[in-house]
Amino acid sequence: MSKSDPQSIYENIKREARLRVESRQEKPLIMVGTATCGVAAGAMQVKEDFAREIDDKGLDAEVIEVGCIGHCYAEPLAIIAKPGFPPVCYGNLDDGLVHRLVEDFLAGDDPSYEYAMAALERNDEFPTFEDFPRGVYEEKLILEHCGYADFSKIESYVARDGYSALAKALSEDPKLVLEEVKEANLRGRGGAGFPAGKKWEACLNNGKDEIYVICNGDEGDPGAFMDRSVLESDPHLVLEGMILCAYAVGAKQGYLYIRAEYPRAVEHVRKAIEQARTKGFLGSSILGTNFSFDLEVFQGSGAFICGEATALVNSMEGRTGMPESRPPRLVQQGFRGKPTVLNNVKTFAYVPLIINKGAEWFKSIGTPESPGTAVFSLVGKINNTGLVEVPMGTTLRQLIEEVGDGLPEGSQFKAVQIGGPSGGCLPESALDVPIDFDSLHEAGAIMGSGGLVVMDQEDCMVAVARFFLEFTQNESCGKCTFCRLGTKHMLDILTDITRGEGDLETLEHLKELSEDVRDGSLCNLGRTAPNPVLTTLRYFYDEYKAHVEEGRCPALVCRDLILYYIKPAKCSKLCNVCVGSCPTEAIYTRDDGLKAIDQEKCVKCDNCRKACPTEYDAVLRLSPPVLPGEKERKAK
Amino acid sequence: MQLLKGEKEEILACVKEVLGENSKTHENLIPILQQVQKKLGYLPALAMDKIAEGLKVPAVDIFSLVTFYNQFRLNPPGKHEIKVCMGTACYMTGGDITLESFERRMGINEGETSLDRHYSLDRVACVGCCTLAPVAVIDDEVEGKVTPTRVDGIMLALEEDREDNAIEKSGPKVGAEDE
Amino acid sequence: MSDYITMIIDDREVKARRGEKLLWVALDNDIYIPHLCAIKEEKRPNASCRLCFVEIEGHNQPVTACTREVEEGMVVATRSSRVDRLVKTGFELLLSDHNLKCRECPANKNCSLQVIAKKRGLKLKHHRFNPLKREFKLDDSPAEFAFDRSRCVLCGQCTWADRFEAEVGAIGFTNRGIDRVVTTFNDLPLADSICTECKLCVDACPVGALYYKKDQNA
Repeated sequence: MSKSDPQSIYENIKREARLRVESRQEKPLIMVGTATCGVAAGAMQVKEDFAREIDDKGLDAEVIEVGCIGHCYAEPLAIIAKPGFPPVCYGNLDDGLVHRLVEDFLAGDDPSYEYAMAALERNDEFPTFEDFPRGVYEEKLILEHCGYADFSKIESYVARDGYSALAKALSEDPKLVLEEVKEANLRGRGGAGFPAGKKWEACLNNGKDEIYVICNGDEGDPGAFMDRSVLESDPHLVLEGMILCAYAVGAKQGYLYIRAEYPRAVEHVRKAIEQARTKGFLGSSILGTNFSFDLEVFQGSGAFICGEATALVNSMEGRTGMPESRPPRLVQQGFRGKPTVLNNVKTFAYVPLIINKGAEWFKSIGTPESPGTAVFSLVGKINNTGLVEVPMGTTLRQLIEEVGDGLPEGSQFKAVQIGGPSGGCLPESALDVPIDFDSLHEAGAIMGSGGLVVMDQEDCMVAVARFFLEFTQNESCGKCTFCRLGTKHMLDILTDITRGEGDLETLEHLKELSEDVRDGSLCNLGRTAPNPVLTTLRYFYDEYKAHVEEGRCPALVCRDLILYYIKPAKCSKLCNVCVGSCPTEAIYTRDDGLKAIDQEKCVKCDNCRKACPTEYDAVLRLSPPVLPGEKERKAK
Repeated sequence: MQLLKGEKEEILACVKEVLGENSKTHENLIPILQQVQKKLGYLPALAMDKIAEGLKVPAVDIFSLVTFYNQFRLNPPGKHEIKVCMGTACYMTGGDITLESFERRMGINEGETSLDRHYSLDRVACVGCCTLAPVAVIDDEVEGKVTPTRVDGIMLALEEDREDNAIEKSGPKVGAEDE
Repeated sequence: MSDYITMIIDDREVKARRGEKLLWVALDNDIYIPHLCAIKEEKRPNASCRLCFVEIEGHNQPVTACTREVEEGMVVATRSSRVDRLVKTGFELLLSDHNLKCRECPANKNCSLQVIAKKRGLKLKHHRFNPLKREFKLDDSPAEFAFDRSRCVLCGQCTWADRFEAEVGAIGFTNRGIDRVVTTFNDLPLADSICTECKLCVDACPVGALYYKKDQNA
């Protein structure tokens, strides 16, 4: 059986892949980050610029697309790997910088370190990402190769031992895969943290004939893009995890449910599936064994609720994505009425690592109850926005201050929102909470799918709660009374509060209704929708009070409670910038040459305040919305 | 909505083609609707009816699906599709102001198409480009850091395109004023 | 294993067939639990009206009776402060989106909402929640009946009757969230749809949203 066992078949494929990858390494390789975020920042132009400049100079170098490296604040970015030099990452690229890099580094031998962010491999010349505070706290397991590998070629995955976990597992009993995942205590990364091994085992015990494996890529939380990045940047990692799961539970068919808004992810995954089939990692008789399994992509149609397990299955079966009451759970009765394993993208991505390195290794990272790492998309008022991966147990403070490099100058920390519309807003006092499934739950937030938004003094907590409620209300499927009507009334009440209407009783009423929607709704969308409201009421009650009792928005956000005012003492006759910036011609020049705002015409778009030169800073927002003159008049 | 001449034939041909390429199972319903919409730009009642017939399901079930999922449209989109992102990061940096600016400049509300079908305006939940907030998607191109001033710029480009079209159309054609 | 189990509902010993749903066991034994959307024949209960909450010993939260299979030795209480609070809120939420002019309603004195109010001591008026006041067009196109969506509570009794009793498939739920309605394909008036006017849906409606026109019924 020497030539036909999975290990030797795999070794042959790997040898071939290595040869192909190595042949590419003989010439300079430019890797441009073209995940959705990179493309939005202009990565395609950067790629073209590189190709053109290289062509113009007649150089022999290759420009390829890679995924997201997580340093989104510096997009567009690229890694240049030139033989004889460490691979170096450059950010904030434009045509000028590209020109310079091609001329100095590719044509010449000067890596232009003054423009470099970091090196990707240890060397004597330039620090790597690990040498920065962020790198000290970060531990990349599933993001390790995101943005530093050619997602479009399976060889690149295989050459770095990709699919070796599968080859290893196929040489052994499927039970061993299940045991390893169970032993590792891998908890589902979709938010709730249910142990994946237990889920698989339940499915295996229930499945007499057919079992399905589904990857939940319906990442819909506003402000979260981890799953998208993994699917776009390292699709084979997810596929291998799914194939391992299928082997463990004895499934023959699996699906990746990917949301409609992620066309690039769909494209990359479809391509990866085809390549995996060609190499024999998918399809019938995988790696020469009698194990067969295939995968397909199911594209969502734009409904947040389809991230909910039963709604997702309904949607795949051609129905509206309405959740069902549980039990039965999916492991009993899922897709086509058969036992179904449904796990998040990230959950599957950990599986090959666990099989290769063992459960003990996995448990050595993170905390005993929540082993492994947590992946977050860091956004909001934070310097290093992007995708980060830290061991569970890291505190929120470390994540924000060290990994995210703190808040921008002038920003004072006010709250951090975790878990999206199902999560909560935590204040400064909760920053030393370690990040793990259970601690966050106790603090009133949830791990959720990993969106993390940092807020400062300019963010109004009532408006934030209202924003999330508007989102869930909009995405409510409308099936059950509490979610359909309860979230509508909650939204109406919150809208009233942002207008300064209501009193302390309104706040009490809002709290009661929130609790009832939490306890009475059919599915988790409704049950968790009140979290942003309940946590802000708990931690930022004074801000709510200021709205209803004083008609004042302390963060100067709620537009019904502020007005724009140009302070004559600060305004200059010589400047006209604000007049041109106003989209509704509300700003006029007074007889004395200073500017003023016609309150009737003002739409409070903030354009003039942004336009006003910093040396004047004459445009103010006042809350409650009373002009200085009026105040005096009223006083008289 | 009244179909123009030739549109009916186009719709029927399109549905026939898509139904021919897919097995007619209930599970394929959403992929079939996606494919038809991709070709036609929207899902006219006639198409829904024919798909229902082909798959032997009540037409009202197709209508349920199409009105449930955000992705499906009952009306033809504008030539240019503008989507304003309303993810958390975009909201916090003024996504609502961006949306309002577009509404003001276009004279339509979100979810609507301009009468001449030149552009349509929608909001999307999150396109996952949070670090470039606020974001708008103009015909599949993501625009980052959109301010009201930038909205004016985008609109100017779209209006120029309309004028170019008008010049083309007003060429040799005669008597096109029966609207 | 016997086909029957013994359990306790509100301190009463009750015998029931194994696997039956708690709601129907209680109702069959003349123990009232509020409900609107439950359909006995439905395999997977809709569980959407959220009114049939009860306490089951061993559960830390009220659960819906329509979804729970009875078990040997189960101990159930149909009332508790938590159950009453949820039922009250659920009921008031439904009323906030319901045309509350009972005197003008053909289902007056024959309405499930009125039954719930009476049995649970709830008021048939807007209390904590402002009425949503949405505009609906009356569909009186059928010869003998009409459909007033301002009274509809989205229980799904009519769509079940249409689909599984009449086997027509003329009506269904469309839209999402707060805009969810029962309607026909392309929102056509019932008379212009494939509706056969068999009226099974009218008989199924618990609240007077689908009702017989007066002159026909007199």
